[in-house]
Parts: sequence; C-alpha cells; structure tokens
Amino acid sequence: MAVLNERERSKKPLSPWKSKKTSDKKAAAFPGVKSLNGRWGYLYVAPFVIMFVVFGLAPVIYSVYISFFHWDPLGTSTFTGLRNFNLLLHDSDLWLALRNTFSIWALSTFPQMFMAIGLANLLRNTRLRGKSFFRTILLVPNITSVIAITIVFSQLFGRDFGIINDFLGWAGLGHHIDFIEGVIPSHVQIATMITWRWIGYNTLIFLASMLAIPNELFESSSVDGASKWQQFRFVTLPQLKNTITFVLIVGTIGGLQVFAEPQQLAADGGSSKQFLTLTLFLYNQAFVNNKYGYAAAIGIFITFIVLIISAVNFVISRKISNDGTR
Amino acid sequence: MIVFLSIFPFYWMFVVASNTNAEISKSPPSLIPGGRFLIVARKVLSAQGVYFNSALLNTFIVGISIAVAQVIFSAIAGFAFAKLDFKGRKGLILFVIGTMMLPSQLGIIPLFLLVKNLHMIDTLYGLIVPALVTAFGVFWMRQIIDAQIPNELLEAASIDGASVPRIFFKIVLPIVRQSGFVLGLFAFLAAWNDYLWPTIVLQSPRHFTLQVALTQLKPMYGLDYGLQMGGAFLATAPLLILFIFVGRKLVTGVMDGAVKG
Amino acid sequence: MVASLAAVAIGAAAFSAPAKAADPVTITIWTFGDVIQRNLVAEYKALHPEVSLQIKKSDLDPLDGTNMVTACTANTGPDIVATEVSYSGYWRSYPKCFQDLRQMKTTGESTAGIPAGQTANDIQKNYLAWRWAQGVAFNGSVIGIPTDVGGLEVAYRSDLFKKAGLPTDRAAVAKLWPTWDAFIAAGQKYDAKLSAADKKAGKGFIDNAGTIYAAIMNQGTAKYYANDGTESGKLIYATNPQVKLAWDTTIKATKAGIGTRIGQYTSDWNIGMNKGTFATILAPAWMMDYIKAQAPDTAGKWDIASIPGGGGNQGGTQLGIPSYAQNKQAAYDFLTWYLAPAQELKVFKSYGLFPAASVLYNDPALVNFKDPFFNNAPVGQIYAAGVQKLKPIFEGKLQRAIDTAIGAGLGRVAAKKQTSEKSWSDVLIAIQKAVSN
Repeated sequence: MAVLNERERSKKPLSPWKSKKTSDKKAAAFPGVKSLNGRWGYLYVAPFVIMFVVFGLAPVIYSVYISFFHWDPLGTSTFTGLRNFNLLLHDSDLWLALRNTFSIWALSTFPQMFMAIGLANLLRNTRLRGKSFFRTILLVPNITSVIAITIVFSQLFGRDFGIINDFLGWAGLGHHIDFIEGVIPSHVQIATMITWRWIGYNTLIFLASMLAIPNELFESSSVDGASKWQQFRFVTLPQLKNTITFVLIVGTIGGLQVFAEPQQLAADGGSSKQFLTLTLFLYNQAFVNNKYGYAAAIGIFITFIVLIISAVNFVISRKISNDGTR
Repeated sequence: MIVFLSIFPFYWMFVVASNTNAEISKSPPSLIPGGRFLIVARKVLSAQGVYFNSALLNTFIVGISIAVAQVIFSAIAGFAFAKLDFKGRKGLILFVIGTMMLPSQLGIIPLFLLVKNLHMIDTLYGLIVPALVTAFGVFWMRQIIDAQIPNELLEAASIDGASVPRIFFKIVLPIVRQSGFVLGLFAFLAAWNDYLWPTIVLQSPRHFTLQVALTQLKPMYGLDYGLQMGGAFLATAPLLILFIFVGRKLVTGVMDGAVKG
Repeated sequence: MVASLAAVAIGAAAFSAPAKAADPVTITIWTFGDVIQRNLVAEYKALHPEVSLQIKKSDLDPLDGTNMVTACTANTGPDIVATEVSYSGYWRSYPKCFQDLRQMKTTGESTAGIPAGQTANDIQKNYLAWRWAQGVAFNGSVIGIPTDVGGLEVAYRSDLFKKAGLPTDRAAVAKLWPTWDAFIAAGQKYDAKLSAADKKAGKGFIDNAGTIYAAIMNQGTAKYYANDGTESGKLIYATNPQVKLAWDTTIKATKAGIGTRIGQYTSDWNIGMNKGTFATILAPAWMMDYIKAQAPDTAGKWDIASIPGGGGNQGGTQLGIPSYAQNKQAAYDFLTWYLAPAQELKVFKSYGLFPAASVLYNDPALVNFKDPFFNNAPVGQIYAAGVQKLKPIFEGKLQRAIDTAIGAGLGRVAAKKQTSEKSWSDVLIAIQKAVSN
C-alpha cells in the first residue's frame, strides 16, 4: 500500500475515514465514495439493529409503556399517567436506595482502584517466576458464581461465629459486628464481595497500561535521581489517566445496578432497608408488591441516574486528559 | 498473598463441600478438607434431575455460541459506528448506550412472551438468541476500534482501492482480535453464571444449564451447605481447568485490550 | 420437545375420554426442594409405565413468583405446580391461573386404591380443614391440594434446661408454658441462670424471638385480609386484634432479651445449634430432619414439647394444575394419587414431612412414631395434636409484602434501631405503600 504523507493526503478529497482531529462537522459531500459509504454503514449496522430492536428494545418499550399504568399482568391494569413517577419521587425508599447504591458503589469502586493500581505496580516491579500463573489466578474470582460466593462470604462475616469477627476481635478492632444489620457494615460486606470479584481483572488492566509506559521515562527519571515513589507519582500515574477513566465508567454502570449480592443477604434489603439497592428496590416492587408499573418507573429513574453519572464521568475525564497531556 | 486472597473463597468452597454438615457448623470451622468430597461429588452427579454432563455441555454450547455471536455482531456494528459515517450514527449509538442502563429484571415478562411466540421455550435457542447482541458489546467494540485503528490506515487502504468489507476482514478484524477475545470471554462468563433467565425458559432437565441444574440440589427449606458448595465447586472447576489452558492467552488479551482501549 | 408435547396434546384432545393406559404422556412438574419424592416417582412409574414425570426444581421465589406469573401471563405452564404457603395468599387471588379441581374427576386406580370419579369435593374430607382452605381461592375454586403441614412445636435442649434448673420431662415442660407470657417468663428464668461468660458468648433461651410473631398469627382466625368476594380482598390488618397481640407479645419477648438474635438458616444458626447457643427453637416437623443433619452430635439432647397456645404452623405446600397445562387429566390422576393419604404416609415415613391428610392422624404408624434423636418423643402424636387446633385463615393478595414489612419492623426493634412504637408506625407506612395503588 502506498503511504502518502500527511500533507498530501489532506489535499485530496477526504476519504471515508477522516481523522477526528481534522473536522468536527459532518463529512462534506463525497460524490460516489460517500454514498457508498453511507450504504455500507447501514448494512453493517443492520444485523445489530434488527436483533437489538427485537430483543433489546422490546423490554425497554414495554417498561416505558407500563410505567404509566397501575399494571397487573394477571388482572386488570389502569392508566395512571404520571402518578407512578410522582409517587416515586416522594418515596423515601427511593432516596434510601439511592443512598445505599452510591455508598456501596463508592466502597467497592475506589478502594478497589487504589488497591488494583498498587497491586499492578507491585507486579510490575517484582521479578516473579511464573508471572502468567499469577496473572491467571487473578481472574479466578471472576469465574465463580455469585450465589456460591455470597454463601461463603456470609459465613465469613457471621456476627457470632464468623472468621472476620474472630479476627477483628483478636486484633482489638471490635467484636460481634453485625455485618447485616449495620448500615455501613452491611455495605462493607457487599462491597467486599464485589471488590473480591473484580479486583483481579482491574489489576490486570492497570498492569497492562503500566507495562506500556516506555522504559525511557523511568530511566530518565531515575537518572534525575527520582525515588521509586516519585517515579510512581510522576511517571506512572499520569500515564494511567485513560485507564482510570475506563475502569471508573465500567465500574459505575455495573455498580449502580448491584442486585444479586444484597438480595442473597436479605431479600427485602434489610430490616431498615440498609442495603436496599436501586435494582433490588425495583425487583421487589414488581415481584413482591405486585406493582409492575411502579417498578418500571424505578427502572427509568435508574437509567437517568446512570446516564447522568456517566456523563459526569465523561466530562471529568475529558477535562483531565486535556489538562494532563504532555 | 494475592494468590491466597483470590483462591481462598474457592478453596473454602472445596472444604465445605468435603465436610459433613456437622463439621461445617463447628466454630472455629475446620480449614482442612474432609474426606467426604467424593461422596458429595457423587451425590451431586447422581441427584434427581441433575444430568451433570448434559448441563455442562449445554452451558458450554450456550456460552460459546453467545460469545462468538456477540463478538461478530458487535465487531460489525462497532466498526460501523466507529468508522463508517452514516446519518443518525451519533443518535443511534447514544440511544443504544442509554438502553444499557435499564435493569434487565424489568424485561423478564416481555422477553418471555417474545421467546414463547418464537417457539423457543425450553430450547437452548431461547437462551442464545436474545443474547446475540448487547449494547455493551457494541459499545466496547466501538471504543476498541476507535482507539486501536488509526484512520490513516483505513484511508490508505481505501485509496488503494480496497472495498469496505475487505478492509473490515483484512485490516480491522486482525487488529482487534485480542480485544474481541476479551469481549467473548465476558459474554461467556455472563452466560455461564446466568440463572434468572434460564430458569424461566428451560423446562426439561436434559436442557438445563449448570446453574439451573444446581438448583435441583436444594432441599426444601434452608441450605445443605455441603451439597450446595459441592455443586458450585463442580460447576466452577471445568472453567478453572479451561483457564489453566487458555489462561495465558486470555490474560494478554485483557491487557492488550486495556492498553489501547 | 415442543413437537412431542404438541403431539401428545393433539392425541389427548382426540380422545376425549381419559387417556388410555397405552398412550405415553409426559407430565411436567414445577416444584422446589423435595416436595416431589424420588421414591414415589419411581413407584408411580411402576404403576403407570406410560407416564413420565419431568420435574424441574427452582428456588422458591423464582418458582412461585416470577416463573408462575410469567407463565400465566404467557398462557403457558407446567402440568403441576407446587405452591408454598407463603404464596397462597397471592395465588388465591388469581384463580384464573389454575384449573378448578372441583371440575376434575379421577380416572380410577383400583391397583392404587383411588376410586374413579373423585373430584376435589370428594376428597376434601381427608385433609386438615385449614390446610385445605389454603388451596381455595376467594371465589371458592379449589386451586391446590395440600401435601404436608409444617405444624409448630417447641424443640428444646433438655440438657440445657436441666443446667438452668428447668424441668426436662416434656409434659412438665409443656405445663411450664401454656401461654406465651409463661413462655417468656420461662425464658427469663433460663437467662438468669446463664453465667457471665455464657452471656458474653451471646447465649440465650430461644434462637430468635421474632419467630413468635408468625406462630401467634397462625393461632388466630384472621390475618391481614377478609374475604369480600373480590380478587384483592378487604384489608383488615390495622384493626385485627390478632396482629396487635402477635406484635406486642413478640416485642415483649424481644425486650426481655430471651432471644439470641441469630437469623434462622444462617451459618451462625447452624453453628449455634451445635454449640448450644440457644435452648429452644419453634420447630415445624420438617425442621427435625434439618437439626439432625446440622447437629448430629446433639442427638438425644433434644426433646419436643407442645407450643404455647396449643398449635402452630410454618410451611407447607399445595399441588395445583395451572390453567394452561397440557395434560390436565394425567396430571390430576398423578396428583390425587400422590396426595392420597397412603402416599402421604409413605412420605412421612421416609422423609419426615408431616401429612396434611388428617385421616392419618389415628394411624398407628403416626401415633406410635417416636424419634430417638429427640429423646424418643412421640412426635407423630404431638404434631398431630397441634395441627388440629388451628383454624382456617383467609389470606389475601399482598400477604407476603405485609409479612415482610412487619418482619422488618420486628427486626428493627430487635436490633435496637427503633422503639416499638416508632417501628410500628413505620410498619404501617410501609404497608400502606405496598397495598396502595
């Protein structure tokens, strides 16, 4: 393939893959190529769109539709308009669930990220034998089923006889902590399960990014007399910004939909709903209280929350990467 | 240390599975495996309604089908969203991402009605077909393709006269192979661990996937820890073995995907 | 699979008379746990080689909740479904999802002792009245027939009672607590004798005082609803004195500190059984097997005494036929056979599920049944006496939601998060939210 240099290429009519840097507006008219391009675009996107409309969209449309009803799939349904949404916004349980979800999300995302970065740094520096073995081990938590893990962890976190309480008591950090009744303790238990599951995966991601940092940067900084810690702070960390963003966004979308772990601990989210998450709230409204329309309204609410948070994440990460490029 | 933490709950599963209920309920609990594992394993494998080999096979079939399909569909559509320009592109991708955020539990009833009308109840198709495309898969591939494939490369190829399909197959796919592999892995895992949907779609024991098969072990009330854990252990072990063989490739896949993505 | 079911359905429709012995039929059953016993399945197969039972077990909540709702909405369903009593209130509001068993007639099994032409009305007299009522919809339709009855008595550790200076003989123990107040007093006596070390280790009289609530509710004649002939029923929870009685008594027990606040079925509970952390459990019949499995080293240290108030219940299942079942006649034949007193007796002997077929209560097999694990207590007699004391109670659509709200309220008081009064007002708010439109 002929390689044209940058300047020459920009003189020619813009090809289908114009670089994003060069133009913000939509592609200018390309006779022939563009129309072919447009058709190809539709063709390639078509299989996905068809399947998606049938299987992905149908539930969404159904949910939006029933959110305007008092919906009983087995009985009569009545149209209630915006009533579900109105009730929802005044429902203290919703805001409680929101608080819980955020708390669990914070507890399971940020410590995990710090630990993953630290762990990755450790793995990068050490000359370990059987490196790929260790890396494989890191993914083991991800493949175990959530239900089985919840059983194991609830045993470990038992109030009277759990190992963790035994350890805390021995270390003088308190004893007989109730990891189900307490608000923060229950969040800690759930966050621990989530962290355990995902930390290996995230560590590998950070490790990969670290390994991609050119060695010259490290060499030159150590020539300048930088300590290991300074290297970490000024060389490693800045290069990780994109990765941090990615991990944050994926973790957020997943974290805001936590469902299985709280449900296994107590189907109603706890006696004072201390670990009722948004999705568990939704599920109970539909399948315990028989209020499918209300549940649908909750679902729409959750969608908005996730959208907002993702948008915020995106804006922040944009800002950071614009600031931080060297 | 890391190894210990990763493995410990899994090891604990094995310990619990191999002890009698009485031993499990001692405090402090015994940390060494008891001798009952083979007995428990046999119980699991011969339990009523549990056709372990079928379940294993079914789960593999479903998992791999979903993984492969998702990767292909997502790659094609992701490519379109990332590199092909067409009207409504931006709006569509945003809409798709938006739907990703609606919890899946809401969709159980309408999805079931749909699957029933397509006569896919109690078939593995009922599990595979609704999972062929996901918003996440398309989003992931779009990001990967966007980041890993420079526009210049494609421009050069098109100027050389390559058609779009040729470019897709010869240039794009090889580059994103590793990341696609990772997507496939996650799709596979999600299918492997899924319970809520399979339990409602599958009816005959021979069609069950592993998670549904494991539920056949549960006693009426309460929990038989040993049996549960034995089942869970046996359900995870094949994956673990797979991992040991395929592990290195997976890990580099994850890492490669991350570097560019 | 679908094709063969369709073929069978067409075949069955073509023969409007009950299926002849030669036509192969597969009955699909949705159940949980061990409601459908393996040995009886084998026995039925020997009686009817042409009938295959295809059993799918699920977790209880997906089964009686999402799966059944989805199936009924989609106009499909298995041939037989097992409904646990916690869901009976809900399904009794939707009789349209079930075949009215009064309309079905048995084909007749001379070999198995089932006469022909029996409708649900005919066999009703074989069963405990209030257990039968849990399978009757608000409009009188019979949507399920009971398998077993949980019953409820007190399982107590005679060795721990002795240490605390309480009587150990089960008749004497039963005299100790004819009422719940006396039970609480006995608990306080027990706690008073605990050493400081025991108290620190969290030992107590009963595993969980919260279990008293459900026990008292089942001893009354009404719960949260009254049958007004409509699908949703009339809400009476706010005025029903039984609710107040159950709540107040449970709070009293909680405040007296006689419970160890360990959740049932947690690993702490299993361990606690082994360590003697609690001396009493309100135990349904099926829990005896559970205790045996979890704490085999405590054999002989347990005994069973009558529960305060005379009787109680926890758990139980009805078997019903969904409206959209494909093989209703074959299903009904199996169902009536499986639930016939003779079979329920077999289940009791092999598995310990206490039969809902009250005609068995005079059967020597039940009367003479003694359990060595529980100090040779005549558990057959004890549970039979207990379950006969209960009355039918109408259950309404959102039974489970209300129970959950009240349970959470009791939990909050037990965890010292709220006073009883504040918790109760929060319970009322939660219930209001759940039952309003």
